[in-house]
Amino acid sequence: MLKSIWELFNKEDLFECYQCARCTGSCPAAMVMKCYGPRETLLRCLNLGQEAVINDERVWYCTTCHVCEDRCPQEINISELLTAIFNLAAQRGNLPEKIKFGVDLIAKTGRSLIVNEKVLKDRQKLSLPPLDPLNIDEIEGILKKTGLNDAIELS
Amino acid sequence: MTPKKVQRKEKEEPRIGVYVCHCGLNIGGVVDCARVAEFAAGLPGVILSKDNLYTCSEPGQELIKADIKEHRLNRVVVASCTPRLHEPTFRAACEDAGLNPYLFEMANIREHCSWVHLHDKEAATEKAKDLVRMAVARSKLLAAQEPLEVPVTRKALVIGGGVAGIQAALDLADSGYKVYLIEKDPSIGGRMAQIDKTFPTMDCSICILAPKMSEAGRHPNIELLTLSEIEGVEGYVGNFTVQVRKKARFVTDSCTACGDCVKVCPQVAPDEFNAGLSMRRAIYMSFAQAVPSTYQIDMDLCLNKHGIIACDKCFQACQRQCVDYSQQDQILTLDVGTIIVATGVDVYDPTPLTEFGYRKFPNVITSLEFERLINAGGPSGGNLIRPSDQKIPKTVAFLQCIGSRSKRSNIYCSNICCMNTIKDALLIKEHWPETKILVFYIDIRAFGKGFEDLFQRARREGVSFIRGVPGEIIEDPETNSLTLIGEDTLLSQLYRYEVDMAILSVGIEPRKDSPVIQRLLNLSCAADGFFLEAHPKLRPVDTPTGGIFLAGCAEGPKDIKDSVTQASAAASRANILMAQGKVIVEAITAVVDETLCQGCGMCVKVCPYSTIREDPETKIAQVTQASCAGCGTCVAECPFSAITQRHFTDAQIFAQIDAITEEAPETKAVAFCCNWCSYAGADFAGVSRMQYPTPIRIIRTMCSGRISTEFIEYAFRRGAAAVLVSGCHIGDCHYINANHQTEKRVNRVWKKMERLGLDKNRLQLAWISAAEGNLFARKMKEIDEIIQGVTPEEIEKTKQILVPKKKGKGEGTEPKE
Repeated sequence: MLKSIWELFNKEDLFECYQCARCTGSCPAAMVMKCYGPRETLLRCLNLGQEAVINDERVWYCTTCHVCEDRCPQEINISELLTAIFNLAAQRGNLPEKIKFGVDLIAKTGRSLIVNEKVLKDRQKLSLPPLDPLNIDEIEGILKKTGLNDAIELS
Repeated sequence: MTPKKVQRKEKEEPRIGVYVCHCGLNIGGVVDCARVAEFAAGLPGVILSKDNLYTCSEPGQELIKADIKEHRLNRVVVASCTPRLHEPTFRAACEDAGLNPYLFEMANIREHCSWVHLHDKEAATEKAKDLVRMAVARSKLLAAQEPLEVPVTRKALVIGGGVAGIQAALDLADSGYKVYLIEKDPSIGGRMAQIDKTFPTMDCSICILAPKMSEAGRHPNIELLTLSEIEGVEGYVGNFTVQVRKKARFVTDSCTACGDCVKVCPQVAPDEFNAGLSMRRAIYMSFAQAVPSTYQIDMDLCLNKHGIIACDKCFQACQRQCVDYSQQDQILTLDVGTIIVATGVDVYDPTPLTEFGYRKFPNVITSLEFERLINAGGPSGGNLIRPSDQKIPKTVAFLQCIGSRSKRSNIYCSNICCMNTIKDALLIKEHWPETKILVFYIDIRAFGKGFEDLFQRARREGVSFIRGVPGEIIEDPETNSLTLIGEDTLLSQLYRYEVDMAILSVGIEPRKDSPVIQRLLNLSCAADGFFLEAHPKLRPVDTPTGGIFLAGCAEGPKDIKDSVTQASAAASRANILMAQGKVIVEAITAVVDETLCQGCGMCVKVCPYSTIREDPETKIAQVTQASCAGCGTCVAECPFSAITQRHFTDAQIFAQIDAITEEAPETKAVAFCCNWCSYAGADFAGVSRMQYPTPIRIIRTMCSGRISTEFIEYAFRRGAAAVLVSGCHIGDCHYINANHQTEKRVNRVWKKMERLGLDKNRLQLAWISAAEGNLFARKMKEIDEIIQGVTPEEIEKTKQILVPKKKGKGEGTEPKE
């Protein structure tokens, strides 16, 4: 079990952040969800400690697109920090409902979107091939092995 | 220049006088000085031995002087404080009495003994005896030395004709010295000539620079060499020979700068002086105020570049017939005593930061391009216009820290960009007060005199400062206007600003060709690429190489005022050398015995100052005495014992090891400490009264690079329980990088000990700075533990099997000569 996000992310890297905000300025998630921003997340980690972010549902708006760390002048691996936060939060069962729903969906159907009549019709319209059936057992196995399964059950 | 070996030949019996100082109670309160003096009296060669209350006092010195005369002493040993304190005092006293100062030796029984063993008087007294024994043993082998006097050529070379170079050249020329001012561009003036106004006074840059430029151009003591580059530097402090390539200008000095030639020239290229914002011809003058005020032909661009006259329009146009297509580069040889390096900086090119769209979006420009646009002499006649449509922008954004403070570019703060932006913002406000100006910053660093005032003025005049640099800039392809997307961190709020123009406030970085200068002058560079000063606080304009000084941005980013200040400082430092007309080189340099040198070249490789050369024919090493700094690392490297360091000979050091190991070596550790860091660190432990165990005996050398593997092995062979080699931290070596050799040599002995099945822990290597007294004391405790753990069998085994590779070396407890 993870005890701290610092097991996955080197805390010292954060000291190099001088809050230039080029990360948040580049963040597509922040563009949509005004309450979230990598700069602030990083500052909270540093000044308020990891508990402040692990219990904060806003971090889950991050899509780990990596643009922030591409542009970070200090080359801080911000996505890695977010991944560490996700892992610890998930272990503690701090998974927001929407994320849980998505993960459940993958576990049960093997897909991250609901495939309903409309989707199938749309595919037909676009003359896309019919969807192949998925091997749910294999996906379950992967989820188990990666430990995500435990995290979901916890919540 | 070869110091004589002669002195040793006329060997006279040593007549040593020993003086054990009480230093009041500082030593006397712990060490039984009378007993130490009595012990010294019994040592061979000692004629008299005395203990007195304060040896450094006037009566104490007089006593020594009288004794030298009365008892015909030819060696003097004082056991008192650290030689770093009073060696010069006693040397002077000896010299007064007619004794060569190099025949004086000191034993440090205060900092290294009484002060650090306050509570063990018996052991301290025993240690003091050992220290005196070492000093007496070494003193017997001392030789009289004459410090070398090197004449200094009273001419200076200034490399770089920016404001720093100009200032340095003027200062030296005004002091009466001949100065060669070398500039690789066609005109002097440098970066300052490109800038419109200066902060914080808002002076017109070229207006204050141009008088200085022309003064430098017409000064009788300054020889201006433009379009010139250094190709080779030889020599040493006071005596440099510099090869300069003076490139062909293709226009003679009779040019009156009428400009008739330019009108007819068919060839065009981007104008470097205007940051590429305008075009110039193949025949051109870089800017109106250029010094020398002479045109030149860019032969790479000229149609005649292949040596065939394909176009002679400029020649035809020139009434005075100044155009000469056949001009050749000249190679000049200059003899100078001092060199000032003022090579300046390049500006950061922000093209790699693709999110800002520089070079992709026409209205994203750099701060240097802005300077040319706003300058009345620039391509737009001083009108700030958008490159896309030549319209005056209504909204302008400045982006700070572009190419500075970042691992993606340069990690340091460029020092000037904050104030430059504030100045630029005010300039816009001055010309077009309605312009909306946004400055996106991380921190505003307004630290200098008058800087904060200017910052406040900008705010009062309505410049908006927004904390948070945009994540990206996007362009409207129709209007070429820009949208800046980012976060205002103080409001924790995202922004989208539409602006007409964005100016990237770019940082500055070392010249691309500064590695060439570094190699030619044997300078050191910091990790950021700027030239390294000899000491960051106390010798900020000196380089580690004697006679070479730094001025301006070559040493680090700085503004005009600091550049000028530093230039005057560098000129003053050079002035001191040239005014004295000579430099004294302490007689601790390396000397090659030509009969022993095999020409292997090992010494050449390890010399941090590149001061050793192989004779091209005989391959025999030659040390230039004047530029030898006396680290002794070549001596330790030489496999044939062909090099001797004066005043720190192998024989002297072996004699010290012998003295340490004469009695009960199994209870002692031999420590080799460098003069500048670890010996000073031990002194600091003493001054701070840090208590540590008594077994350590310190041998001082100038640099840890002097310690050969043979010294270490010899100490072990003599039965020492442990050996410590100690020097400055890597990167802090006072001899550039000689301690890298120390590390290699200790590693070599460690490997050998391992191979022979010996306990390599008995050999310790420690980097201890002059400030790390506590570290020194801690190391002493560690070593004491190591000594406790060493068995007699281990010591005996070491004596048997740690034998030297080559015969003849290491047995040399007798002086070689």
